Amino acid sequence: MLKRKFLWIILIVLLISLTCMSNAATPKDALVIGANTEIFITCDPGVSFEVLPNAIVKNIYASLVRVKIEDGNFVTVPEVAKSWEIDLDGKTWTFHLREGLVFANGDPLKSDAVVYSLQRVLKLEKSPAWLFSDVLGLTEESITAPDDNTVQIVTNGAPSNVVLTIVGDTLGGILNPEVVQEHEADGDMGQGWLTDHSAGAGPYVLEEWDRKIKLVLRANENYWRGAPEIKTIIIQDIPEPTDQLLLLKKGDIDIAWDLTAEQANSLKDSPDISVVTTPGQSDEYVGMNAGWGPFRDVRVRQAVKYAIDYDAIINQVMEGFAINNQQFLPVGYFSYVENNPYYQDIEKAKELMAEAGYADGFDVELVTNTTERRKTEAVVVQENLAKIGINAEINLMQASQMYAKFREQGIQMIIAGWGVDYPDADALANPFANYRVQQLAWRCVWYDDYAADLCEAAAVEINEDRRFQMYQDLTNYWHIYGPFAMMYQPIEFWGVRNEVKDYDIAAEGYSVHFDLTEISK
Amino acid sequence: MKLESYIIKRIFLMVIVMFGVATIVFFITRVIPADPVGAILGGNAPIERVDEMRRQLGLDKPITLQFFEYIKGIAHADFGVSLKSNRPVLIDILNYFPATIELAFVSIIFAVLVGVILGIFSAIHRNKPIDHFSRFFSILGVSMPVFWLGLLLLLVFYYHLDWLPGGGRNNLFIIPSRITGLVLLDSILTREWSAFWDGLRHIILPAFVLGYASAASIARIMRASMLDILRQDFIRTAKSKGLSKNIVIYRHALKNALIPVVTIIGLSLGSLLSGAVLTETIFSWPGLGRYIVNALLVLDYPAVTGGALFIAFVYSLANLLVDISYAALDPRMRV
Repeated sequence: MLKRKFLWIILIVLLISLTCMSNAATPKDALVIGANTEIFITCDPGVSFEVLPNAIVKNIYASLVRVKIEDGNFVTVPEVAKSWEIDLDGKTWTFHLREGLVFANGDPLKSDAVVYSLQRVLKLEKSPAWLFSDVLGLTEESITAPDDNTVQIVTNGAPSNVVLTIVGDTLGGILNPEVVQEHEADGDMGQGWLTDHSAGAGPYVLEEWDRKIKLVLRANENYWRGAPEIKTIIIQDIPEPTDQLLLLKKGDIDIAWDLTAEQANSLKDSPDISVVTTPGQSDEYVGMNAGWGPFRDVRVRQAVKYAIDYDAIINQVMEGFAINNQQFLPVGYFSYVENNPYYQDIEKAKELMAEAGYADGFDVELVTNTTERRKTEAVVVQENLAKIGINAEINLMQASQMYAKFREQGIQMIIAGWGVDYPDADALANPFANYRVQQLAWRCVWYDDYAADLCEAAAVEINEDRRFQMYQDLTNYWHIYGPFAMMYQPIEFWGVRNEVKDYDIAAEGYSVHFDLTEISK
Repeated sequence: MKLESYIIKRIFLMVIVMFGVATIVFFITRVIPADPVGAILGGNAPIERVDEMRRQLGLDKPITLQFFEYIKGIAHADFGVSLKSNRPVLIDILNYFPATIELAFVSIIFAVLVGVILGIFSAIHRNKPIDHFSRFFSILGVSMPVFWLGLLLLLVFYYHLDWLPGGGRNNLFIIPSRITGLVLLDSILTREWSAFWDGLRHIILPAFVLGYASAASIARIMRASMLDILRQDFIRTAKSKGLSKNIVIYRHALKNALIPVVTIIGLSLGSLLSGAVLTETIFSWPGLGRYIVNALLVLDYPAVTGGALFIAFVYSLANLLVDISYAALDPRMRV
């Protein structure tokens, strides 16, 4: 009997001691970000092509130039290259490197490392490689090092903003060739090793990636701008947004990455937490197949644009986390000027339908994928279209299935989104207006040569004023004739503890610009 | 039939089951109207890139040839390379499996302890308050959504009371040295007691949530089985011999009543070892369930087929062990 009582006492003491232990606090010079890290595949700058990993990898590898935000616009500033110039042919770029630069391990950073890293992207031929090969027209031979501190690249004549923003993007990250070659396996150029190790000269070093648990970045004490104030950054894998919210409120994480709009709005009155926002680098659109039935008539396409209740979608579906931006250029891009000609006007839409001979409406299949947001958007658009007699039947598909059908021009009407590949007008004008590149305009069977010619001319126009005007003309033309009703530009948002300073500066322009060195606590 | 021959026969049958599972999973993933390449590359990718990747992955080959290569790989313990993580599927599985094993074993220990004890008390105190409580506990356990229960417990024990941590396997700043990948075992082996306590605190809530349904099933079966046994003649004989109540229950009745419970425990363990995606998601537990479900969402064929095959293997193995223990206990099972 005594023995049994003793066992019970031990058990109770054990349980109490387990519950009384406190959680180890986050050190002052450490930052914990709670995020769903499922999207992480690799931290190799020559392979990574997803939004969140790219933003993190940018902070591990220094590039020739750095893309940052000034007065709401993307600009490129010197990084590893202290200066650069372009030859009169508009194709040959010469970058002059800073002297005395070193990698995180102390090895000197010379021009051979830059050449090795840029050529490696082309040799690997992974997802981001087309930005070098197709957009800039680079080949392995076109990247050279005349001396230890000079790098020369010969492009296809792409405008300077395109060249600099791509070179300054994640894929332009400079690797330490000695370290990479040391870890090569089966001629993979270190790709396997670089998945979860780093060999860069950026502000942080990848210390550890324990999959589905955490990714740890440690400050690079050799970084040329000086070691960052936050010495350790931990990206903790927390797949469930509700958990992220609870941990954020308790102070166990400093930043919650994947909050829902509703959760973020619930934090707006919190004394300890702020909601930080920045315009997202994507567009959400309704696409119409201009080669199918009634949508062949431009007036029907315009009627659809007048039928949509943009305010309802932004305020109710997106709960305010979106911008009314009806053009393909996101806010802050070269040639962006606010230009939103459409608003819901059912009478005008009906008139256009009648003029086109569809006063009684028609049936159409509206395809979208299975995320909650898209489903709700589809229902709102369906209701809007019903007001002008268009009977849209919603067909929900898995994203991969939907895009496979879309790529074959097999969709009548679609709700989808487009993420930006590089921060220049060209990255948006081509997919949305140039059918010859076989992207969105082609998938919507909008074979418009005037728009395609204008896209191609603007892409190679070096005079910035003329280029600016070309995109303005293209946007106005596209608004009238194009097969897209642009619903909104999403806003990115995070829940951030108030102890974290300047996260808004660090994340402005996410994901093109994401600079962890700006953060302090 | 000798026990050895029985085991050999069962292992042979297991191989056939595995082949069947591999075949079914392979063809199911191929006939669904979805495109894994599209899922990997996303909506922006141009058509040439999609075609190129399809060629690289061998998805343009005839399906029979793909199947033959797949089976050949499995025979060499090669499940292929995950389209998403770019690592061998087996390495991925072995990376996530320790977390699943650890959670499954702690859950099953909890489920067996609670289930068996409640079942016994419920049977011997039939229609008394403890029996009502036990039945209420069981109904709640089998009917309460895991997702809801998990969030509720986090809200109470983590957020409001601050007694237990809010997910993960251990604190980010208290990490035991890795030997087996099992946090509790590794911290004992390395005598890192703070890591052990921390790991124990982290596993309480997920193990409770995951083990609750199993505990409820075990309690129900245990109660029914115990009631059945208590009505048998040999129990009446034991009682009439003047044996004490405790000896009758724990020495005579319990042993016999446990036999059907062993089946439930075996099946529960098999299902717990195959990963529990909801529990893993709520408690940020880096286990196999999340790996396989995420692979499904991005149509990562090798990971899906490899994961399904691995789960089938774990299930078959659990069943095999249950059957072998039956056969060892009861020679009639070998016939």
